[in-house]
Amino acid sequence: MPQSAEAIKDHVSLFREPEYKEMLREKRINFECPHPEETVREISAWTKTEDYREKNFSRKSLVINPAKSCQPLGAVFCGAGFDGALSFVHGSQGCVAYYRSHLSRHFKEPTSAVSSSMTEDAAVFGGLNNMIDGLANAYALYEPKMIAVSTTCMAEVIGDDLHAFIANAKDKGSVPKEFDVPFAHTPAFQGSHINGYDNMLLGILTHFWQNMERNPGGSINIIPGFDGFCVGNIRELKRVLDLMEVEYTIVCDPSDVFDTPSDGTFRMYDGGTTIYDSKAALNAKATLSMQEYCTKKTLAFAKEKHQETASLHYPIGVEATDEFLMTVSELTGKSIPDALVRERGRLVDALADSMSIAHGKTFAVFGDPDFVYGMCRFLMEMGAEPRHALATNGTKPWAKKMKALLESSPYGQDCEVWPGCDLWHLRSLLNTAPVDFQIGSSYGKYLERDTGTPLIRLAFPIFDRHHHHRFPTWGYQGGLQVLVRILDKILDRLDDDTNEAGVTDISFDLTR
Amino acid sequence: MLKQWIAEAFNEPDCDTNRAKSTKDRKQGCSSRALTPGAAAGGCAFDGAKIALQPITDAAHLVHGPIACEGNSWNTRNVASSGSQLFRTSFTTDMSEQDIIHGGEKRLFRAIREVAEHYRPAAIFVYITCVPSMIGDDVDAVCKAAAERFDVPVIPVNAPGFVGSKNLGNKLAGQVLLDRVVGTREPSRRTPFDINIIGEYNVAGEMWMVLPLLDRLGIRVLASITGDARYHEVACAHRARVNMVVCSQAMVSFARSMREKYGIPYFEGSFYGISDTSAALHEIARLLVEQGAPADVIQRTEALIKAEEDAAWRQIMPYQERLSGKRVLLYTGGVKSWSVVSALQEIGMTVVGTSVRKSTDADKSRIKTLMGEDATLFGQIPAKELYRMLADGEADILISGGRTQFTALKTKTPWLDINQERHHAYAGYDGMVAFVRQIDATLHHPVWRQVRSPAPWENSGDRQ
Repeated sequence: MPQSAEAIKDHVSLFREPEYKEMLREKRINFECPHPEETVREISAWTKTEDYREKNFSRKSLVINPAKSCQPLGAVFCGAGFDGALSFVHGSQGCVAYYRSHLSRHFKEPTSAVSSSMTEDAAVFGGLNNMIDGLANAYALYEPKMIAVSTTCMAEVIGDDLHAFIANAKDKGSVPKEFDVPFAHTPAFQGSHINGYDNMLLGILTHFWQNMERNPGGSINIIPGFDGFCVGNIRELKRVLDLMEVEYTIVCDPSDVFDTPSDGTFRMYDGGTTIYDSKAALNAKATLSMQEYCTKKTLAFAKEKHQETASLHYPIGVEATDEFLMTVSELTGKSIPDALVRERGRLVDALADSMSIAHGKTFAVFGDPDFVYGMCRFLMEMGAEPRHALATNGTKPWAKKMKALLESSPYGQDCEVWPGCDLWHLRSLLNTAPVDFQIGSSYGKYLERDTGTPLIRLAFPIFDRHHHHRFPTWGYQGGLQVLVRILDKILDRLDDDTNEAGVTDISFDLTR
Repeated sequence: MLKQWIAEAFNEPDCDTNRAKSTKDRKQGCSSRALTPGAAAGGCAFDGAKIALQPITDAAHLVHGPIACEGNSWNTRNVASSGSQLFRTSFTTDMSEQDIIHGGEKRLFRAIREVAEHYRPAAIFVYITCVPSMIGDDVDAVCKAAAERFDVPVIPVNAPGFVGSKNLGNKLAGQVLLDRVVGTREPSRRTPFDINIIGEYNVAGEMWMVLPLLDRLGIRVLASITGDARYHEVACAHRARVNMVVCSQAMVSFARSMREKYGIPYFEGSFYGISDTSAALHEIARLLVEQGAPADVIQRTEALIKAEEDAAWRQIMPYQERLSGKRVLLYTGGVKSWSVVSALQEIGMTVVGTSVRKSTDADKSRIKTLMGEDATLFGQIPAKELYRMLADGEADILISGGRTQFTALKTKTPWLDINQERHHAYAGYDGMVAFVRQIDATLHHPVWRQVRSPAPWENSGDRQ
């Protein structure tokens, strides 16, 4: 017996014991009807060839290992950014269970969201009753300050009309007439979670702004967008904006609800943009989006309301942060304080100190379109070379913009852009055109296993490493974090490659 | 057709509760709680079906639907495989608006072809989600055509999310196996000691805690349904002598049908807890002998049970002192709601409440037997209520799944994972020792001192 009560082994070592190996081998032979090992090796080698890559890229109907989620996930994330707001997803209930798990696994925090729990009857007759009962129950059970309604594909296929349904529910007394129930149609069969974020935000702002008169002031709105690092990033944004003495509103701020303290109080709602601030945001001089592809419609709406608008692409590094600060400065007339100039100098110093380490290293980057843009930009700043830039939810216009970015630097010349591709495409890319490192979400770990390309986890979702989201990736401080993460991976790898005593340790140096 | 298929799933002659129901009540299904719109909700039927089938490791699991169902969930269950890792790969048709307007059948057919050509899997399971079901894609026909064309079993799993809960999804998955997989192949050899283990999914390699015990008794698991399963073994399952149902009522219909169709007797048991494990081994041996196996297996089993129990208790005793009297709130579902209760009671812990949200009535009556009529059985506990219970100190530890983990921690209550994301196997004798060790480690972790005391400069009293 390899396992015994006398000395319990854990899952890592237990199943490697000879008895288990034998048991599992027997199973393979008896039940797996396996191909000879030689065939397995041969096919495995073939999947790494150009030939297979061509076949893989001719896939038309099948998506394998997608690096994207659906619209309502983005809508639930967006709802979490408002004070006392409960996300209510109209449609089948299983979807909401997924969003809660997905966000909880990443943020290590409880995630609150409810469903209207539509069943087969509702699918046939429409979900009006579910809306009526659902709003009433959610209102009574969870005492929210507002309910942000979005939809699963089920409700969208039937064509449930949220506007009419919510009015109807209010007529029936589900929630008080004046209670805020903004809504957005978020069909999963169009776009991805970044569009869901955009639609929900548009829904919320439309709800608050539609009957208001704009009275322009000097404040600016900042929309962070869908971001797995929102906790660290939004706090960093606030710190920087406070240093600049800018009057601002973060529109959609989930940084507190996704990072509540363990002090004996459960906060179903915590922080977030208040209803008052959401309304007042109409009077802002300008609205700045940190992630253009998360906010296309919302920005257009702000423009319609005669606000100035500007957008960035997930600013990481010196240049991108410069651009962010200068944009804020331009919009507000505030100067960039010395404290930030010094921070900038320190990041530049750090980049210079380590200039040789990432220089010429090649990278694959996958994730949401804005993230991939911002990440590639920073890599090039470090003298590293992005080679594959992939976004499952990237569009052709995004690809065009990416290409313009890559062409702007000698380090981007050899990079190809892959809009709409999945992680199985990336596997072929990493096999046929290998790179030194990949940057993306936890799902990249299987690519790491299959292709030996070390993974740096900097994109949502991160399930298998803890707490990184609590640190910023934006601003000069964020740039420093990202730099250190990349350097650590490169140097760990170098140590791993040189640590066999007497064999490879000629360059196992103490000082790197 | 879908309606009829669901109705059949709710008709279970082997379930006393089900038989006692009126036809109308039976149609409502087994879940005691109708779904409440606007309240926090658990997984759907699709989720349940996928969980039940995905551990078939050498099959490809293709989700036909928009990105929602697969994009938010793929590869999030830690079920272990000794061979193929194909089941971890995510396949979806990622339906778009055009597919919904024009129908998704062609896209599905092509997707199946692409799976077949790229991977040559042992079989392809095709999951039908809400959208294709609503627009009327004839997935059965597509699968049939694809199976013929590509010469691979293509099995439609008709459990769209809107038909009901996770538990129902489990049931429907069992029905799919019964209708389309079991009995389609023959094992290369048979022994009088062949059994199937049903409803055990090998979370964290849990089933492997038990297999060595069976090995020592010369009992062969012909098919495990579906922990670390291969398609071929599930297809051969009809040649077993005895079925053991682990995940309670969700798979009882499956076992009952196998008894009717193939004459295989079954029993319900659990490998959580020492006495439950012993009882299960004993029952396996007894039924095998009844089916014609040599009678000495019973003595051998008894000897093994004695030795294993002694060894396990030797290890557990030191903990008993540290854990006895500690109060546990158990918030999980299905089989775990009762099988873990007895396990905890064995070490002298008090179970202050257990949830029965995915449990069936039979699960519930079992809990009543174990905990007495006063037992607090919860359905869905709203986050607020759960928080209140923990904040009021009604339990010393919460044992639950990931979605409630962080709520517990906010109330300063120790928490232990018992659902799919855990990394320790708790089944069998050794698993029980591991479980106790984990409870002990969790309860006595030094972090609670930090968590529970206020900052040193604050002298306001806080819950200790």
